[in-house]
Amino acid sequence: MAKEMIAMILAGGQGSRLYALTQNLAKPAVPFGGKYRIIDFPLSNCVNSGIDTVGILTQYQPLVLNEYIGNGQPWDLDRLYGGVHVLPPYQQASGSDWYKGTANAIYQNLSFINRYDPQYVIILSGDQICKQDYNDFLQFHKEKGAEFSVAVMEVPWSEASRFGLMVTDENDKITEFQEKPKEPKSNLASMGIYIFNRDVLEKYLCEDEANPNSSNDFGNDIIPNLLRDNRKMYAYRFKGYWKDVGTISSLWEANMEIMDPEHSGIDLFDEDWKIYSRNSGMTGHKIGADAVVENAMITDGCRIEGSVKHSILFAGVQVEEGAVVEDAVVMGNSVIKAGAKVSHCIVAENAYIGQNAVVGAMPGNGEDGVATVGPGVHIGERAQIGPKAMVNNNVKDGETQW
Amino acid sequence: MVNSTQQALAIIFPNSYDNEVPSLVNERLMASIPFASRYRLIDFILSSLVDSGIDNISVIVRKNYLSLIRHLGNGRTWDLARKNGGLNIVPPFAEKTVKVYNGRVEALASILEFLRMQKEKYVIISDTNIVANFDFNAMIDAHIESGADVTIAYKEEPIPYGFMNLQPTATTDLYYTLTLDNGRVTELQTNPKDYGPQNLSMNIYLIDRELLIKEITKAYTSGYVYFERDILSPQLNTLNVRGYKYEGYTSRITDMVSYFTENMRLLDNANLDALFGRAPIYTKVRDDNPTRYIGNAKVKNAMVADGCVIEGEVENCILFRGVKIGKGAVVRNSIIMEDTEIMGNADVDYVITDKMVTISSGKELKGNASFPVFVPAYKSM
Repeated sequence: MAKEMIAMILAGGQGSRLYALTQNLAKPAVPFGGKYRIIDFPLSNCVNSGIDTVGILTQYQPLVLNEYIGNGQPWDLDRLYGGVHVLPPYQQASGSDWYKGTANAIYQNLSFINRYDPQYVIILSGDQICKQDYNDFLQFHKEKGAEFSVAVMEVPWSEASRFGLMVTDENDKITEFQEKPKEPKSNLASMGIYIFNRDVLEKYLCEDEANPNSSNDFGNDIIPNLLRDNRKMYAYRFKGYWKDVGTISSLWEANMEIMDPEHSGIDLFDEDWKIYSRNSGMTGHKIGADAVVENAMITDGCRIEGSVKHSILFAGVQVEEGAVVEDAVVMGNSVIKAGAKVSHCIVAENAYIGQNAVVGAMPGNGEDGVATVGPGVHIGERAQIGPKAMVNNNVKDGETQW
Repeated sequence: MVNSTQQALAIIFPNSYDNEVPSLVNERLMASIPFASRYRLIDFILSSLVDSGIDNISVIVRKNYLSLIRHLGNGRTWDLARKNGGLNIVPPFAEKTVKVYNGRVEALASILEFLRMQKEKYVIISDTNIVANFDFNAMIDAHIESGADVTIAYKEEPIPYGFMNLQPTATTDLYYTLTLDNGRVTELQTNPKDYGPQNLSMNIYLIDRELLIKEITKAYTSGYVYFERDILSPQLNTLNVRGYKYEGYTSRITDMVSYFTENMRLLDNANLDALFGRAPIYTKVRDDNPTRYIGNAKVKNAMVADGCVIEGEVENCILFRGVKIGKGAVVRNSIIMEDTEIMGNADVDYVITDKMVTISSGKELKGNASFPVFVPAYKSM
C-alpha cells in the first residue's frame, strides 16, 4: 500500500556552535522549552499533519537521539506499517560511506523511501523550532502542479544576505536561487524544508551521486540542477514562528520566547497542535513556602525553595533556598545550591551549581553574553562563571572563569 | 530474591470502598480517583507490581469503570502491553455465568477458569484505596520463608475515622484487624471499633494459586461472599495465615477528609520522597507543556503538575494538570483537579474541585479543614 507522503528528517547536524551542549549528543537532541528536545517539533508537526512514516537521518553522536526516539510511541509513530525509523549510515556491498552531504544522506536511503512507494517526499531539518502544518504545504505543492517546493520565510531585507534566497515570479515560481548573496534580489529565505515529487527526487539524487565533483548538498547542488533544467519549482510562504537554534544566543532567545507566546508567536499551549515528547514521569513540581516564582515555566519534578524569575526550568531541577535564577534556561535534573546566582545563561542537564557560586550576569555595560554550563559540569562553591564563558569542565571552589 | 515474574500474578479490586467517598466516585471508581497532582490511585499498586517484576495483572471491575478503562488503555504506560500476561480488565458479564459481584468470593469465582490456566505459583490480591510504593518481592520472600498458606500485609496504625464512622447497612464496606501470635494470625476481626494502634489489614494478600482456586470453589458453592470473613476467619486453625508488617509510607483513603489530608501531607518533601523515592510510579501521559507562571502570580507551598497557567495567588495547594488560576484569584488549602479554571478575583479556601470545574470571577468559596467544600466534575460556579 502506497503512502501519499513520507518525511525524511536531516538530523546529522553536529551543532558545533553549541559545542558545550552537543559534545555528546546531536543537535536535534538538544533539550528545549522545559520538556522537549528540538526534534520533537518536526516529529510532532509530522504526526499533526497526518504523516505517519518518518525517517530520521543521523550520524553525529546518535546514541541519545536513538534512545530518545525508541519505537516512536510518544509521537504515536509506533506503526505496523511505516512509523519512525532512525537511519544511520550503513555498510553496503559496494562499501560504506558516511553521509557526504544532505543530498547524499537521502540518496543512501532511497531504498527506505521506495519501500513505501510515496508520491511525495518532504525533507525536514531536525534543528529548527517551528510549528508548521505540512499538509497545507502539500496542498500548495499540488495546486501549483509543482515538482519541487521549498518553504520560505520573509526576512528583513537588511538580513537577507545571511540566507539562501529564492527569487520568484508573481506566481511564486522560483526563477533563481541565491546562496548568501552580497546583493539580495529577494527576501524569501529558504527554511530548508522541501517537498519533492518522488520520481524527481530520485532522478536528481542519482544524477548528483554520479557527479564526482558534487558536494552532494540540496542547496549547493540539487536546487541549482533543478533550476538548470527548468523544473516546476515553487516557493511556499510560511507565516508562523520559525527559528534556527544554531547558536547559544539563539537557543537561549527561543527558550525565552516560549515564555511569551502572546508576543513571540510560538504557543506550546495549543491543544490543537500539541508538541509531543518523551515524558520524565516525575511528580508535580513543588514550590516551597519561601520560594519566589515570577514569569517562569516550570516542569514536573522541580523543587523550588529559592527565587526563579523569567526562567525555564526542565524536569527535576532543584533550586535551593536563597538561590536566585533569572533569565536562565536550566535543563533537566540540575541542582542550584543555596545562595547561588544563575543569570542570563544556559545550564545543561545534570549540572551542579555550588553554594554561593555565580553563573553569568544580567546584561549591562554593553555586555549581553549568554554563559553556558555543559551537561554534568560541577561548579564549585563561590566559583564565578563570566557572561561569555562556555564551561565544559568542572570548576573548583572559588575559581573564576571568563 | 525470588524471580517473581514466574512466581506471582495479581488481581486488583478497583471498586473496594467506593461507598466511603461517594462524591469522588460519582462518575468513576476508587481506582481512578486523582491523587497527588497527576496520578490516579491505581497507578501506585500497578507501578509497585510492575516494579517488582509482576506483569500478569487482572483488574476485576464492578461498576462505573469507563474512566478506569480510559486511564489504563492497553496498559502500555505501566509496560503491561505484553504478549504473555500483561493487563487484563474483567468487566461483569464477561462470561455467561458472570454477574455483578458483591464480595471477593463471587468476583474470584468468575475468573476461576482463567486462574486455572495460569502458570504462576502465587496470587497477589489488592484493593486500590491505599497509596504505597510497595515492594512485593519482599513480601513474597517473607511468605516463602515463613511457610505461610496466606500472607496478609498490615500496617500498625489506628483505625481511621472514616472506618470508625461506618454505618452498618447492606452494602457496608468491611475492614479487618489482625491478632497475631509470632506472626501467625490467630484472629481476624471484622469492622472492630477499637482505639489506638491496631494491626490494620492493608487488604493485600498473597496466596498459593492452587489453594485459592480450591477455597474459592468450596466457598462459592456454599454461597459465601467474603474472602476474609467467610474463608480466612473460620479456618485460622487449619490454614497458616500470617501477617506481613509493612513499614513504608502509606496513604489510606477512607473518606473525604482522609482524601484531603493525604493529598496535603505530600506538601512536605519528606513525605513526598518517602512515597516516590523507592521505585518509579507511572501514570498516563497527557503531553502537557510546562506550567507557566505569569505576571503577579504568587505561589507558596504548592505541588503543581504540568500544563497549568497561574496568574493569581496559590498557597498550600495541590494543582493537577491543566489548571488555570486567573489574575487576582486567591486559592488556599485546596485540591484543584484536572483542567479546572478558577477565574480572576475568585477567593477559594479549603475546596476540592473535581475535574473541569469552572469557578467564575469574584466567586467566594470557603470550607474548613474538617469539611472541605467539594465541587463535582464539569460544574460551573
